[in-house]
Amino acid sequence: MAEAQIKNYSINFGPQHPAAHGVMRLVLEMSGEVVDRADAHIGLLHRGTEKLIEYKTYMQAVPYFDRLDYVCPMNQEHAFCLAAEKLLGIKAPERAQYIRVLYDEIGRITNHLLNTTSFALDVGAMTPMLYGFEEREKLMEFYERISGARLHAAFCRVGGVAADMPAGLAEDILAWTETFPKVLDTIESLLNENRIFKQRTVDIGIVSAQEALDWGFSGPNLRASGFSWDLRKSQPYAVYDQLDFDIPVGKHGDCYDRYNVRIEEIKQSLRIMRQCIEKMPSGPVRVDDRKIAAPPRAEMKSSMEALIHHFKLFTEGFHVPAGETYTVIETPKGEFGVYLVSDGSNRPYRCKIRPPAFAHLQGIDFMSRGHMLADVVANIGSIDIVFGEIDR
Amino acid sequence: MTQALQDLGDYIAAALSQEVLSAQLLSDELVIIVRGAAIQRVMTFLRDDANCQFKQVMDITAVDYPEREQRFEVVYNLLSLKHNQRIRVKVNTDEDTPVPTITGIYSAADWFEREVWDMFGVTFADHPDLRRILTDYGFEGHPLRKDFPLTGFVERRYDDEQKRVVYEPVKLTQDFRNFDFLSPWEGMLPGDEKAGKGE
Amino acid sequence: MGVTPGSTETGPLPVPNAGQNAVLEAAAEELNRKGFLLSSVDALANWAFTGSMYPMTFGLACCAVEMIHSACSRYDLDRFGVVFRPSPRQSDVMIVAGTLTNKMAPALRRVYDQMPEPRWVISMGSCANGGGYYHYSYSVVRGCDRIVPVDIYVPGCPPTAEALLYGILQLQKKIRRTHTIAR
Repeated sequence: MAEAQIKNYSINFGPQHPAAHGVMRLVLEMSGEVVDRADAHIGLLHRGTEKLIEYKTYMQAVPYFDRLDYVCPMNQEHAFCLAAEKLLGIKAPERAQYIRVLYDEIGRITNHLLNTTSFALDVGAMTPMLYGFEEREKLMEFYERISGARLHAAFCRVGGVAADMPAGLAEDILAWTETFPKVLDTIESLLNENRIFKQRTVDIGIVSAQEALDWGFSGPNLRASGFSWDLRKSQPYAVYDQLDFDIPVGKHGDCYDRYNVRIEEIKQSLRIMRQCIEKMPSGPVRVDDRKIAAPPRAEMKSSMEALIHHFKLFTEGFHVPAGETYTVIETPKGEFGVYLVSDGSNRPYRCKIRPPAFAHLQGIDFMSRGHMLADVVANIGSIDIVFGEIDR
Repeated sequence: MTQALQDLGDYIAAALSQEVLSAQLLSDELVIIVRGAAIQRVMTFLRDDANCQFKQVMDITAVDYPEREQRFEVVYNLLSLKHNQRIRVKVNTDEDTPVPTITGIYSAADWFEREVWDMFGVTFADHPDLRRILTDYGFEGHPLRKDFPLTGFVERRYDDEQKRVVYEPVKLTQDFRNFDFLSPWEGMLPGDEKAGKGE
Repeated sequence: MGVTPGSTETGPLPVPNAGQNAVLEAAAEELNRKGFLLSSVDALANWAFTGSMYPMTFGLACCAVEMIHSACSRYDLDRFGVVFRPSPRQSDVMIVAGTLTNKMAPALRRVYDQMPEPRWVISMGSCANGGGYYHYSYSVVRGCDRIVPVDIYVPGCPPTAEALLYGILQLQKKIRRTHTIAR
């Protein structure tokens, strides 16, 4: 029998591919239908955020963080505000911290809803997306009610938040946390024991504990590999040390575990949201330092000093003492770090953003080797990538 | 927490007295500065030593200080899950001196080092695949250097005659307005007669 | 807006494309009466174009999220015959949703070139319109109209799903008054 010579060939996956979750070019070297090597070309959404931040005041830099991971905008603002507050040596008032945490968890649910349902879409289940996105609409309405914007809130400010919660919002969020579990059950009943979904995800893209450490994984992807590690618990920021919640941990580190960890995190987020609304104290939402936080609108109409403060704050901004910090928070995707270097002026000297998905996408090569082409799509969907933050 | 980090810093400085130049706490975060050539030894020690166990490299970046002789500061942020501690390792280098790669010690360092090369032009010796990662194919310069202009040098446009997307020199209808708030008001306003008299 | 749980229904939805339905009904009536129908080819073509606009999913950045939302349950672009297609060969509208970078520009142009005529482009969001928040960046194309000809600009950062919907309706209007065949 004559031996057939099979030549390796390469496939360009992207840059415009519906299952690539954005703009990624994946050069796949295939032998037959098996992936030999996956070389991800990123940077197709590189917008120069870090350079732009160096030219903007601290307050003008906040909205850039919305636009990094545009699936959960407010979480990242929180990280930047914490970093700047650390250098300034201030702490936001307790009510502001509760509002931030409440909206962090809303962001976590919007992110996980988008990720799990679009992951299901990638592997062949369309219905969960229709359920999930209706709930996302409601969450975006909560965003809109507090900040005026559906997506890019620019709501966390250094030294607090932009405004207090409007009347009735807390009750509506609480009511939503009661109705939402039913929808989540529907989504779960569509996927959890779905034969096709399980065939596409179980034992696909296994990441062992050792590999997860070596490749710098964090967040749900690390937890799916068996680490009980959550920055909200181990290095608590804001008010997470006063809240009661559990950390879901996976066992096998495959796509199915990563999906399950996310679904479970949604449930824990609901718990946190309820506790936040319950425990939220009354009080100011910004620090009482006119050099950092803007005075109230009403005061500006009557007080000359307040007017001057307002003008200085929104033109020159505030000066941050020289220093540097690497501040991290647990965003839905994992450890989101801001390495902020200040030289004492009103603009950051250097602001490096550590995107969690950057490290995760790097692992797509070892995760996909030896798998079929279709499994690459499952892997991409399960590690939860968004190109706004990977490319910055 | 602070005391534990201080002790850890002293311990590392004692164990690696040849390599570590300084170990100190900056706003409650442990920062050690090491000699560039010894980075691989330091990283292996930090990863494997029982008191350190920094199994994860979370971030590698650089900061550009053009006025310094060794203008780049390469910054490694490590995390230990076991001891729940973070450490920041810094290496000073200039444009020509390569830093030894740590991809052999932490696989995650691969892309992060590529990014530092892309953004700053710091080379990493023995890196397996030191290509540009974020900027365009064929990009020239290193955008995060302080002497690189914000708007860059070139912009893209579709050329109808050549039927392809071409690069041309950047042309802005309005320049980026960069106010210098650190100087006094004099000299900023047009027609300000006080301008230049202050000296 | 604001939502109170249990009362998310906002009453009967307005009939989409009411004008089109009127035209259809008039045509059907004439067909019944005479047995044949007289129309200009242009009107027929435009009717067909506006009733089945297949946009390409060209989600680049943040705006892509709003674009997906406009296609999902609440805004449901299906009502207007708008169905997202994953391939440029099957689509006639491209929605440039998000920041267009220098690295992505050739790919955008290539996709546009692959689309069959007649084709339209909707530029969605301030980044695609003119660079927006990233206007001064070294790596961003200051407006996607430097790469492809744009028909409709939707402002906003990001435009809400409703704004995109409005942009699509505006494009339908624009198509109706163009003459593809008789020039």
